Amino acid sequence: MVVSAALSGPFAEAELHMAKRVLVVDDAIFMRNMIKDIFASGGFEVVGEAANGLEAVEKYKDLKPDLTTMDIVMPFKSGIEATREIIKYDANAVVIMCSALGQESLVMEAIEAGASDFIVKPFRAEDVLAVVKKVLGEG
Amino acid sequence: MTMDMSRYLGLFLTEASEHLEGLGRDLVQLEREGAPAVVDSMFRHAHSVKGMASSMGFESIAVVAHRVEDLVDAIRQDPTKLERSLVDLLLSATDKMLDQVRAVAESRPTDDASALLGQLADKVCLVTGRTPSATRVIHQARPLSPPPAAPAPFTAAARVLPEAVEAPPPPPPAAEPPPAPEPAAEARVAAVLPPPEEGAAKTAKRWAVRLRIAPTCQTPGVRAFLVHKRLTGLGTLHGLQPPLEDLKAGRIPEGHIQVELETAEGEEGIRKALRNVAEVELVSLKPAVVAPPPLPAPAPSQAEAPRAPTGADATARTVRVRTELLDYFLDTVGELLLATARLRELGKVLPENSRPPIEEGVYRLHTLVKDLHDKVMSARMTPLSLITDRLPRAARDIARRREREVDLVITGAEIELDRAILDELADPLLHLLRNCIDHGLETPEERVAAGKGARGRVLVSVRRGRDRVVVEMEDDGRGMNAAKLKAAAVARGALSAEAAARMTDREAFMLACLPGVSTAQDVSEISGRGVGMDAVKRVVENVGGTLEIESELGRGTRFTLRLPLTVAVVHLLLVAVGDEVFGLPIAKVVGAMEADSEKLERSREMPLLPHGQGLLPVYGLDELTGVQAPPRKGVRPFVVMEGDAGRVALAVDRLVGQEEAVLKPLSRPLDLLPGLSGVTILGSGRPVFILDVPRLLSA
Repeated sequence: MVVSAALSGPFAEAELHMAKRVLVVDDAIFMRNMIKDIFASGGFEVVGEAANGLEAVEKYKDLKPDLTTMDIVMPFKSGIEATREIIKYDANAVVIMCSALGQESLVMEAIEAGASDFIVKPFRAEDVLAVVKKVLGEG
Repeated sequence: MTMDMSRYLGLFLTEASEHLEGLGRDLVQLEREGAPAVVDSMFRHAHSVKGMASSMGFESIAVVAHRVEDLVDAIRQDPTKLERSLVDLLLSATDKMLDQVRAVAESRPTDDASALLGQLADKVCLVTGRTPSATRVIHQARPLSPPPAAPAPFTAAARVLPEAVEAPPPPPPAAEPPPAPEPAAEARVAAVLPPPEEGAAKTAKRWAVRLRIAPTCQTPGVRAFLVHKRLTGLGTLHGLQPPLEDLKAGRIPEGHIQVELETAEGEEGIRKALRNVAEVELVSLKPAVVAPPPLPAPAPSQAEAPRAPTGADATARTVRVRTELLDYFLDTVGELLLATARLRELGKVLPENSRPPIEEGVYRLHTLVKDLHDKVMSARMTPLSLITDRLPRAARDIARRREREVDLVITGAEIELDRAILDELADPLLHLLRNCIDHGLETPEERVAAGKGARGRVLVSVRRGRDRVVVEMEDDGRGMNAAKLKAAAVARGALSAEAAARMTDREAFMLACLPGVSTAQDVSEISGRGVGMDAVKRVVENVGGTLEIESELGRGTRFTLRLPLTVAVVHLLLVAVGDEVFGLPIAKVVGAMEADSEKLERSREMPLLPHGQGLLPVYGLDELTGVQAPPRKGVRPFVVMEGDAGRVALAVDRLVGQEEAVLKPLSRPLDLLPGLSGVTILGSGRPVFILDVPRLLSA
């Protein structure tokens, strides 16, 4: 950090541009890995993972990520409940729901609970990144 | 950007299989207990499989999972829809998906699923009153597996696109005439508005907003709802077109939405709020003609004080490791143990004065390696539930086929055993269960006539002994008939009539484990694969365990499996014939004694060794193993061992000693030789075969 701060000009800009930090929540390792890879390919930094809603809320408080992707159907605590708690804790939290066709009403419930946006499974990397960049005001 | 999905294949195979096995367990539990609690879990399993399979491009699996999800959801909404035929269908769907996952794993083409898909679609129509919706699947540029068999007709919509990226969204709902403007809406919204706030009043303006949802959007309803939420976050909406209910249902002609927004935010504020919503285009934003009464911006959601942590960290810190890797560790640590023993042997020939430092070093090395060995062993410990979880489903299927009614109770399944033993035990346990239900339990009518409850009971209990795990499976059925078993064994020539007469009932029950001796004359699915009681006993003994059978006519039968915690270390009695040394598992050795072989009694050429109250048949280990040994006269040692049909005596040349040895499995072609169960290497570096005496005798 000290080194990059000492630089000047466009290099310093690039060096100081911090990758956005992402928390990935899904009960399937398969999905988590896929989402992690998508974020990595888009230049994001995945700082944590959670496998259920309970863990998601804990990890959120712990990590304060810039962005959280949230599965809806999960054991112990659903993604909607977790989103509600995260938003309660941090009104500016950016939570993106991972949904599937047929879950429209659940996604709307999640949006009511404060979710910023949603992506639809099965994911295509470019769609996911497009939504995420939009939400973060980068798109 | 096209993702390379092949790297997720391994994970897909493991996780999808786990979910499907879980789904199968839940279904059996659901049918048995009618428990609504498992429905949520079932839904999660089906939902996860659908998501994974569609991401991988496994259309057939994804579609079946989607239908299962639909049906489970229907049960969730209305539990009265649960009936046997539905459970049957869901179970076959689960089996089909498991088979398809396995097919992917084995790179073989899958069977045609169209019949099942047809049934599932019909059922979905019947149960939900709706036609099943299309399943969205990402199509891989290069299929990861042989393409699934012919797609069902109604999924045809889900495969297309030359660049083979993804299927189109389901066809939009039939176009409806644009709904008439709803004058009441404005009044209704206005009626619930909070009183205006001071301050906001000065700057609030009305804006005419026209938006368009991208035609490629998968879920226009949700998208529109999100936009609606964003706009209400800025101010108050008037004259929303289409109305909210239609928006939510995705009834948005051409994707066009218009609304008047009353807000204190300026133009840039509105643009900014909409800019970060994907799939939405702001067509136009103009000041509305009429200036309405001032209205406030809604209060932002309030950040509350952080809540106390909920505390329940549900996941332990674990990583998944392939079992082959653990096998490799165990194998290598085994080699280390052997190498250490070899070093110790070598140390013994060093001159007296240089020995202590070497011995100390070797001792330390041995301690470390032993510790490492224990750790690797404990990493391989796996709960018995890995195999007992399959039993309820099997019990249900067997009972249904045989028109029995059975309650299966499993206790202690959390107890752990070496994975290698568990893998071996899966089939034997299944066979025992089958025995209990098929042959043990009476029909409901017979049971009632015998004064028992119509439903039979099979109890599987697992408990941990000092250095053993004991698995018991007992039924409350008709019990085994010792006299019949004896007669069958005598008829097959496996036993003399005199020996049969001397046998206790307990010994007689073990006759069921002789190949071909069974009072039940059927070739079942499982015994058809060569797993009979003889195989059960052999497997149990090969992993170093024992099998016992107790039974009482009219009361039931109990099979008791006593299993070592691990297979890797065996206690051996080393014996020599000629120049060869062999290992005999001490678990099977009853004792050793000396006798003059020329003075033994004989019955038809077979020498007999007096032992306890009886006479044991004597076999020469040299003849059994084909080892050349000079003929011996006079007194020689005999080892008395448990055989399949009672005890036997082995004539050997020398008793070499006892050893705790690391068992190494045999590889081709040695594993084809009957009677060898493994090999170990002694501290001296000498390899020694471990004998499976019962198999040697029957070969």
